[in-house]
Amino acid sequence: MSLLLPALVVFLLLNLVAGLWRVFLGPTAADRMLSALLFGSTTVAMLLVLAQWQQSPALRIAALLFVMLAAITSIAFVALTQGRVAARRAPAPPVEPRQ
Amino acid sequence: MNLLIDVLIAIGLVVLAWQALVGGSLFRGIVMFIVFGLTMALAWARLGSPDLAMAEAAIGAGVTGALLMIAYWRLRALGASRPTPRSRLRARLALGVGVLSSVLVAMIGLAAVEAIGPGGEAGQALAAALPATGLGNPITGVLVIFRNLDTLLEVAVLLAAYVASRAALGDDKAALPLPPAQDAPLVGALVAVLAPLTVLVAIYLLKAGSQLPGGAFQAGAVLAAGGVLLMLAGRLHPAPLCGLGLRIALVAGTVVFSGVGIIMLALGQPLLAVPGTWAVYLIETAMMVSIGATLVLLFAGSAGLSGKALR
Repeated sequence: MSLLLPALVVFLLLNLVAGLWRVFLGPTAADRMLSALLFGSTTVAMLLVLAQWQQSPALRIAALLFVMLAAITSIAFVALTQGRVAARRAPAPPVEPRQ
Repeated sequence: MNLLIDVLIAIGLVVLAWQALVGGSLFRGIVMFIVFGLTMALAWARLGSPDLAMAEAAIGAGVTGALLMIAYWRLRALGASRPTPRSRLRARLALGVGVLSSVLVAMIGLAAVEAIGPGGEAGQALAAALPATGLGNPITGVLVIFRNLDTLLEVAVLLAAYVASRAALGDDKAALPLPPAQDAPLVGALVAVLAPLTVLVAIYLLKAGSQLPGGAFQAGAVLAAGGVLLMLAGRLHPAPLCGLGLRIALVAGTVVFSGVGIIMLALGQPLLAVPGTWAVYLIETAMMVSIGATLVLLFAGSAGLSGKALR
């Protein structure tokens, strides 16, 4: 049991590393944003496991803050994509060519 | 296993920082920076600093992510879609400055490691003095009572940042453009739930901060996140003038903090002495309001806020 929680943290961290590949690759902004949101969930899971493992209940509040505020970045992102539909003088779509 | 976790986090942080700064795609850099913030929160959690993990969560998830997204939108709206070509000379200068800065940071780090003897005398002194203050959270004790000049200056720096942003943006433009407000039904429902929740959580963090991890900085950041949400949803708009209420909110932290300190000096106590737990709560509440208001105004890039749209 004492090994289960740290093993879970390592597993979740490796998940994060694997997901980073998607952020790096893209190709669209939406792909990158979605993986960032997924990282948010993974971080919450890791904070909860760490709270239990390190006997530090305050980390659950940090996890709560992440959950509560995760939507704000995505609303800002949606504003980016809607801007080009709604406004005439709006910027180019946030879809980037592969470099 | 512990070492493996820490090494993974450390390597991840370096790679993410590098990826956030290296050229290529601007949007990729923004996402890398957001993920850097998440990993930083994990690092603080591993280092046993839940206070900092909370601050990172509130600032990173609530303010910086949205701020960078909007900055990206503004860059494109202002027609700066192509980054300016880099000059070779500037790159070489940057390399030199970067290496010198790294050396400086390494020297300071080495000095700090050598300066702290075994046991840590400041930590022992703090543990001995804390019960007399009625506070349970040593970090709040250090921030508001024992090293409160630093904290006062931090609040003053935030105020200075707002004034500097006003000076830099000038008066000719009432506000920087914001993307069209999101008034989809889902966003409306989210705002209805989330905006009151941010106020509740901010007050909880402030109240908990005296005994448990939390405090004015985390609470102010959560309040600011609520304001950012209201702006994104089109419930709050940038305004060309700063109203009286907002002015009071901006300076509340600095004025109340230094006011309490000066009154104590007049009463024959040392400068910036804090008379009791009630004063800690008073100062922290004022600081929370100031931090929240300043961050929202920095996000808006405007002098003030109003409930009605400009145009």
